[in-house]
Amino acid sequence: MKTFKLENEPKIESGFKTPENYFDNFSARVMEQLPKEEPKTISLFDRRKTWIYAAAAVMVLALSIPVYNNFYSHSTEIDETTLENYISYHSTVTDTDLVNLLDEKDIQKISVNLNIEDKAIENELSTDNNLEQYLLN
Amino acid sequence: MQEEQEFIQELLNPKTQNQAFQKLLKEYQKPLYNHVRNILLNHDDTDDVLQNTFVKVFQNLNKFKGESKLFSWMYRIATNEALTFLNHKAKLGGVSSETLQSKAIDNLKADIYFDGNEIQIKLQKAIIQLPEKQQLVFKMKYFEELKYEEISEILGTSVGALKASYHHAVKKIEAIVTAN
Repeated sequence: MKTFKLENEPKIESGFKTPENYFDNFSARVMEQLPKEEPKTISLFDRRKTWIYAAAAVMVLALSIPVYNNFYSHSTEIDETTLENYISYHSTVTDTDLVNLLDEKDIQKISVNLNIEDKAIENELSTDNNLEQYLLN
Repeated sequence: MQEEQEFIQELLNPKTQNQAFQKLLKEYQKPLYNHVRNILLNHDDTDDVLQNTFVKVFQNLNKFKGESKLFSWMYRIATNEALTFLNHKAKLGGVSSETLQSKAIDNLKADIYFDGNEIQIKLQKAIIQLPEKQQLVFKMKYFEELKYEEISEILGTSVGALKASYHHAVKKIEAIVTAN
């Protein structure tokens, strides 16, 4: 059997081939795959997001107005007219009770200075026909 | 060496990076293709691994310390990628990498990207019977015609050990081819 000697043989090539134009496109294919270092940009969506948030905030405020009003209409504070009406018509509070609650300042506030002269009173009394009857009785 | 330092700076500078990397691609795509193809034997796998190799090179440029040459650093990455791919593929198929290589050689006859005769197939069949390191050394020296100094830088083995390894590989291959 003939002994095989590499150095006696003509150089044996690997025999590997590549598709035609393989190396022409190879670098472009690799370049496409490289991770791109992207500059920090605010995307259109991010910018829009600010407006979306702003609009949402306005909407929340607008929608909360009826809620706010509703809340205050159920407030525990009673307006003066309602209170007065209640006391006048429904309450078991008597006038005496109310009078007892008044202090000096209150009395001063409600006192009315009529400033009527004596003559005027006399006149009034003398012209009032019924007065005599009252006096007689 | 000075030139290489400048080229590395161009590769790291975002302004010149793209152009420099394209230059790197043009210079290394063919030798690295041959290197990976010699390990994997089939074109499609080689194409995948070669692309991954260059993407990895790009991603790790900032970690390249310049302690070794760009040439040997890239060959090292390509070798690791190819061997990892081979072992992974063998594991997926549930076979040894030797069995996988044996099948790949059987497929070579039908491979449109292989133009070889009987002796080339015999040689490939003999190579896969060698230990992994000897296979690498033989392919890099015989097919790729790299210098021992270059192989030494790539594989991190002394020139003396490489010469011995190559010598053993040639002897075994001759014995196997003679026997068949």
